[in-house]
Amino acid sequence: MTATAITNTIRKLRFERNEMTQQDLAERVGVTRQTINAIELGKYSPSLEVAFRIAAALGVRLEEVFSYDGGAPAPRGTAR
Amino acid sequence: MSFREKTAWITLITLVLASLLFVVHPPTDLTLAPDSDLFRFHVLLLSIATFVVIEIVAIVVVALRAPRDAKAPFDERERLITLKAKGLAWHALAWSSLGSVMITIHLGANEIGLAYCVLASFVFSLMVNYAARIVYYRRGA
Repeated sequence: MTATAITNTIRKLRFERNEMTQQDLAERVGVTRQTINAIELGKYSPSLEVAFRIAAALGVRLEEVFSYDGGAPAPRGTAR
Repeated sequence: MSFREKTAWITLITLVLASLLFVVHPPTDLTLAPDSDLFRFHVLLLSIATFVVIEIVAIVVVALRAPRDAKAPFDERERLITLKAKGLAWHALAWSSLGSVMITIHLGANEIGLAYCVLASFVFSLMVNYAARIVYYRRGA
């Protein structure tokens, strides 16, 4: 799978929070450590709910954790 | 590697071993001719028993080594992986079952031959299911 257009700063934010481990974050969010790892590496885009839970667990706003680099999609019905 | 990825590997490997046992390593029951249907049925039962025993023992061992992972509910990524793998497996089951019926009609196999072919289709679809899960776990989702 190619990396998604959604990038994140989870790794940086974890280390800023007393080097929180992936397992600690996973337990706070309610997912597996492997899922946090997949999100961090950009291999998996979480649902909006999990994204909010990650932001809450890290104590920041959603947009400080995730950003979208794919640009705006073309309006429907317009030629690309 | 997560608990569920390990169990997917265990199931896939056990399925392959049990299938190989059925195909190439029949029990040495000298009272039955190798080509008899009863003999094949005994081999089938042995293969199923082998599958069940290895599967249970291996998964219990893995679960005992990581009890917290084993008890954790499926998260959204794991549910997505399961769903995508099952989608592929259903296609595999549908096409291989159809293929089995067509092949047995053309070969003139009896009902027992047809039943074995459909069973093989089911096993094949399970292999596709667990192989797909492993691939999705490796890729992220």
